[in-house]
Amino acid sequence: MKSYNIDRTDAAAGGMFILFGLFFGVQALGLELGTAFRMGPGFFPLVLAVVLILFGALIVFNAVKAAPGAEAPGAIAWRGLMFILPAPIFFGLTVRGLGFIPSIFLTTLIAGLASLKMRPLHAVGLAVAVTIFSTLVFSYALGLPFRRIGPWLSF
Amino acid sequence: MALTKTVAGIAAGTLLTASTAFAQTYPERQITMVVPFSAGGPTDTVGRLIAEKMSADLGQQIIVENVGGAGGTLGAGNVAAAEADGYTILLHHIGMATSATLYRNLAYNPLEAFDYVGLVTEVPMTIVARKDLEPADFASLVTYVKENADTITMANAGIGAASHLCGMLFMQALEAPIVTVPYKGTGPAMTELLGGQIDIMCDQTTNTTEQIKGGTIKAYAVTSPARLDIFPDLPTVSEGGFPGLEVSVWHGLYAPKGTPAEVTARLSQSLQTALADPEIAAKLGELGTAPSPAADATPDALKAKLEAEIARWKPIIETAGVYAD
Amino acid sequence: MDLLSNLALGFATAASPENLLFCLIGVILGTLIGVLPGIGATATIAMLLPITFQLEPVSSLIMLAGIYYGAQYGGSTTAILINMPGESSSAVTAIDGYQMARKGRAGTALAVAALGSFFAGTVATLLVAIFAPPLTAVALQFGAAEYFSLMVLGLVSAIALAHGSILKALAMVVLGLLLGMVGTDIYSGTPRFTMGITEYADGLNFVALAVGVFGIAEILRNLEGEQDRTVLGAKLAGLFPSREEFRRMVGPVLRGTGIGSVLGILPGGGAVLAAFASYTVEKRVSKTPEEFGHGAIEGVAGPESANNAGAQTSFIPLLTLGIPANPVMALMVGAMIIQGIVPGPNVATEQPALFWGVIASMWIGNLMLVVLNLPLIGLWVRLLKVPYHVLFPIIMAFCSIGVYSVNSNVYDLYAVAFFGLMGYVLIKLKCEPAPLLLGFVLGPMLEENLRRAMILGRGDPSVFVTRPISAALLVLTVLVLVVVLLPSIRKKRDEVFVEAD
Repeated sequence: MKSYNIDRTDAAAGGMFILFGLFFGVQALGLELGTAFRMGPGFFPLVLAVVLILFGALIVFNAVKAAPGAEAPGAIAWRGLMFILPAPIFFGLTVRGLGFIPSIFLTTLIAGLASLKMRPLHAVGLAVAVTIFSTLVFSYALGLPFRRIGPWLSF
Repeated sequence: MALTKTVAGIAAGTLLTASTAFAQTYPERQITMVVPFSAGGPTDTVGRLIAEKMSADLGQQIIVENVGGAGGTLGAGNVAAAEADGYTILLHHIGMATSATLYRNLAYNPLEAFDYVGLVTEVPMTIVARKDLEPADFASLVTYVKENADTITMANAGIGAASHLCGMLFMQALEAPIVTVPYKGTGPAMTELLGGQIDIMCDQTTNTTEQIKGGTIKAYAVTSPARLDIFPDLPTVSEGGFPGLEVSVWHGLYAPKGTPAEVTARLSQSLQTALADPEIAAKLGELGTAPSPAADATPDALKAKLEAEIARWKPIIETAGVYAD
Repeated sequence: MDLLSNLALGFATAASPENLLFCLIGVILGTLIGVLPGIGATATIAMLLPITFQLEPVSSLIMLAGIYYGAQYGGSTTAILINMPGESSSAVTAIDGYQMARKGRAGTALAVAALGSFFAGTVATLLVAIFAPPLTAVALQFGAAEYFSLMVLGLVSAIALAHGSILKALAMVVLGLLLGMVGTDIYSGTPRFTMGITEYADGLNFVALAVGVFGIAEILRNLEGEQDRTVLGAKLAGLFPSREEFRRMVGPVLRGTGIGSVLGILPGGGAVLAAFASYTVEKRVSKTPEEFGHGAIEGVAGPESANNAGAQTSFIPLLTLGIPANPVMALMVGAMIIQGIVPGPNVATEQPALFWGVIASMWIGNLMLVVLNLPLIGLWVRLLKVPYHVLFPIIMAFCSIGVYSVNSNVYDLYAVAFFGLMGYVLIKLKCEPAPLLLGFVLGPMLEENLRRAMILGRGDPSVFVTRPISAALLVLTVLVLVVVLLPSIRKKRDEVFVEAD
């Protein structure tokens, strides 16, 4: 590697667009392309995927030519990623089985752990408050069709 | 109202009882009626109308849960997998029968995954066109369509929609391969019909009645066995020589397989009571339909209907070669 | 005069004590629920629909309409305060509104949004009253070719959404278009890009996407350094706009109202398109376009007015044709049928009290909202003083519930997590999410209408230029492209250096 003059951020962005383009493009090739009269399900996505790959390539190209000294990407919120993203997934996995009340309690608790500032006891307290509030509002007042306690917890 | 519920809820919420022990006193808590389409649509409307009346009869609230998606198969799949305790029921329409063929890898078998409660209503369909289409009556429409098969266009509300099913029947009955144009739902299709962007459509009276009355579209025939009270001048397809075009969007109420017989019997009885309510008859009448008679609001009648309809649509869909997956 | 007597009837109906009460309840409920993150107007109305069944038809529609625009106000509030748009149209508000909030001017942004929306609502209501029938006739002229050309025009506006690299913005639009393709192809029934998951057969959920790439990504960004900053800095600038800021919002509000009123009539996404279009226009006419994306007051005033005007005029197809223009209107139709009124082209003549009562109530409801919301701004802004580590778990809980409540589809929640991750990566790669969202909204309509136009035109692409409205829109697209690109190309070299510093 001779050149150090690469805007890494842009190069990565371009690379990402190329990957997405390939992801959609390859799948679109497996779909029917159709005719101009009756375009198939694959035609439009394939065109878009090709355009996206071209854009991605252009961005990478520009990144290589770009001025040196691109700034570093900065800190990454690993702890946030570890706890924030699983929260909605956990809610999805358990809302039907555990029921709304335990599920939203645990979801809030998991999200609360994402911050170093949050002491465990406070996280529990917050989760209790959120659970009471949302059960009253969504389940009782608005009558959303949630099972409050799900089948996994009944004996 | 919501507020009083909340206050009561605070009291109830502190005593979280999780009993599944099945008592003879069914129903002892609220029942969820899954409508496998989005809120506000014709099926949702039917569901909410009967849910309200059945709640009164059962003494427990029936709440409607809309689980839309994949032509109603997502919601039906959820109910198929739900506990068979009578607290989850399903309102579905003709799609229950057609999805058996339209979807080749359904997660459930429509004939085996459910117990039956009863038929709810059968909504007839109307063959309609933009208001300046030439033919004056059904007979001349048939000739016109056959002569202009390559220029005429027919709208439908997407694969598996009632309008799509009726369209397939129409083309196969007339032996005219018309160009069909799918839309995302009835609303956009009707808008383009009103704007004259497209020529013909076949849709439920729920969607067409007011437009026909308002003279914004032209109606040619109804697909019911007899003429409708709201349109006494509109001939039936059988009168026009196409008995094979008879079709209705029938709605049925189901429970997951294995629901105790006493429970389905109770639900069925409650359904009959709801359907006998004059208010339901009046509101369905506005939509060009009527509640199913008590004899049809029974498990056996629904079972027979479903079996017959699956058998009827299988060859039609296979001939058309259209699948939703 | 007919209009006057009709309006008099309308106001007499809407101003009856119980209708005023239901209107008030509607806007309050709408605001309160709309302000919960991740919950927009559609979900709110679907939740509250059963409450209205016991009411008189007029009262129930007035209340539902109140919930609708109340939730829109509420949705803008979360977009501004925590970058969490609950509805596609407030996504645009989030761009500059949230930046204003981060600079301690959340109060100003909220006040501008409220005042702009009120003005737009007033004008649009008047338009609905006077011009509903002729406007409907125009809307009916729009076939597939016209829609396609309009969407192309809309996509061009994406270029202006970018405040960094135009190329990246374009790539983001295309990526958005592709994400919009996920789901069952309506023409052939073929599932596309669903990876075999039936739950995505009807496409990815917009709320999941918006909450993910805007809201959750922002939470992750805020967790990076973990200095416990509240969202806004320590000090709050004045809550209300200064005289200078008032002067700056007049133009955007007027233009936004015009754009919104026109585009709102078109069924399917008119209001969203209006908000994006207004943003484009404001950025173009602004003397300081570089402020956009960093908290420009015009970037809040214009799109907010446009989306509220569009929200009002989107009632036109429902009122004159009986055809719902969007999912919220479909819910209203359902409510009317349950009340025993089947909406159709004759509603205005058969049910004049209902028709004009609802129209009059729109204005009254908007007035209530502005009166209600201006004092509430202080409260909302104070919410931001809650330490961030307490705020974000609450946001996560509510947006999980909100996203789930739309369709009871757990896969929507998995999509939220995925898009949260994607949004965070995009921030790291300095790609802006707004063009992605625009592409996502327009993608399905663009493809659908392209293919429909080709079917109706028997495979002949000349339909796009032989139909006058479509041709005019395409000419406009080219003009916009020229106007937008000329100065940018000249500026672009400088910008590359500025961006890279």
